Amino acid sequence: MKTCLIVDDSRVVRKVAARIIKDMRFDVAEAGDGAEALEYCRKQMPDAVLLDWNMPVMNGLDFLRALRREEGGKKPVVMFCSIENDAEHVSEALRSGADEFIMKPFDAEILESKFAEVGLI
Amino acid sequence: MQDGVFNELADLALKGSGQAIPRSKSYLIEARLAPIARREGFGSLEDLVHCLKSRANPVFAAECAAALVSKDTWFFRERETLQRLAEDILPVRLKAGNTGRLKVWIAGGSTGQEAYSLAMMLEDDMPPALRGAKIEILSTDLCKAAIERARTGRYGHYEVQKGLSIHRLMKHFTRTDSGQWEISEVLRSRVSFRQHNLLESAGGLGKFDVILCRNVLSGMDRAARSRVADSLAAQLMPGGLILLGQGESLIGLTNQLEPSRDFRGAWGAADPNRKPVATSVA
Repeated sequence: MKTCLIVDDSRVVRKVAARIIKDMRFDVAEAGDGAEALEYCRKQMPDAVLLDWNMPVMNGLDFLRALRREEGGKKPVVMFCSIENDAEHVSEALRSGADEFIMKPFDAEILESKFAEVGLI
Repeated sequence: MQDGVFNELADLALKGSGQAIPRSKSYLIEARLAPIARREGFGSLEDLVHCLKSRANPVFAAECAAALVSKDTWFFRERETLQRLAEDILPVRLKAGNTGRLKVWIAGGSTGQEAYSLAMMLEDDMPPALRGAKIEILSTDLCKAAIERARTGRYGHYEVQKGLSIHRLMKHFTRTDSGQWEISEVLRSRVSFRQHNLLESAGGLGKFDVILCRNVLSGMDRAARSRVADSLAAQLMPGGLILLGQGESLIGLTNQLEPSRDFRGAWGAADPNRKPVATSVA
């Protein structure tokens, strides 16, 4: 079974996303900020990362750049999932190695559509 | 919903659009007519039915019938069909036609996502065999409001995230001040929209190389499906093809069409020498 790491400082968002992603037959792991997520990835690279932008300790963009420098860090499909969704933020996310961008708020249909878009399902 | 109200509205849908709404889905009637009932100040659907029966207003009745049809659509729905169309079918049609022009009709195209998806696909990944071709895309729908929305090319937050990659969203859309996403002028200029009821003759629309009628017939009763199939067949150019939604079929509905020998899942004009298929309506 594939693994998806959900990185968001909101427990509510993590809980909602986890429920939807589990229904897509993924194992789900959670992290509350970029540093915690990076620590997880160093132990076990997930297949996918759903990534918030603004978080304490380490934000989503810094995490993504650090992840892509890690050994095996180019493997996970990274989908930003953020309320910061103007053209500049989206462009910067894609330039930094994100594969997709989900604009909050999201629902099950959007997550399923985006997971299909990047070939995860 | 009372049986009398349901029967009146289900009958309106059947006569107006061929849509068969079963009693078990009466919630669809409530959901789809609620905006009109609110706008007109009706306290209930019973009041709306009373108005429809007491005052002969064909325009209002047609609006209600159109509102009862599903508008469910999204960008790049059943993408494989669009890819086959662009990569395989259109190049063959272009070569066969020898005019440098191709005409595609999206029948029952709702709010335009299907038409714009095809236009985007042709813009982003134009097959070499189609370069230089003039490709006309016409999308029609019974619902005037859906056509008006399609023409604006404006879609909401949820609509642009269903089937559309962020790369295509950024490339082809701009965000408006109201927070909607508007498709580019270039793509809008490549698609035209027109109100049309599939139960009526489509003679005025012209002839087409390819007709896409996807996930439209499945909601109709058998008599309507048969009538629409004949009507679509009449608008095909010689050698033209009809593409349906996944799982949809025309078997037993018309003698005018048969499965294409060249493109699996597509339908073309029937060989007149072939034994006809029974089209009795149950």
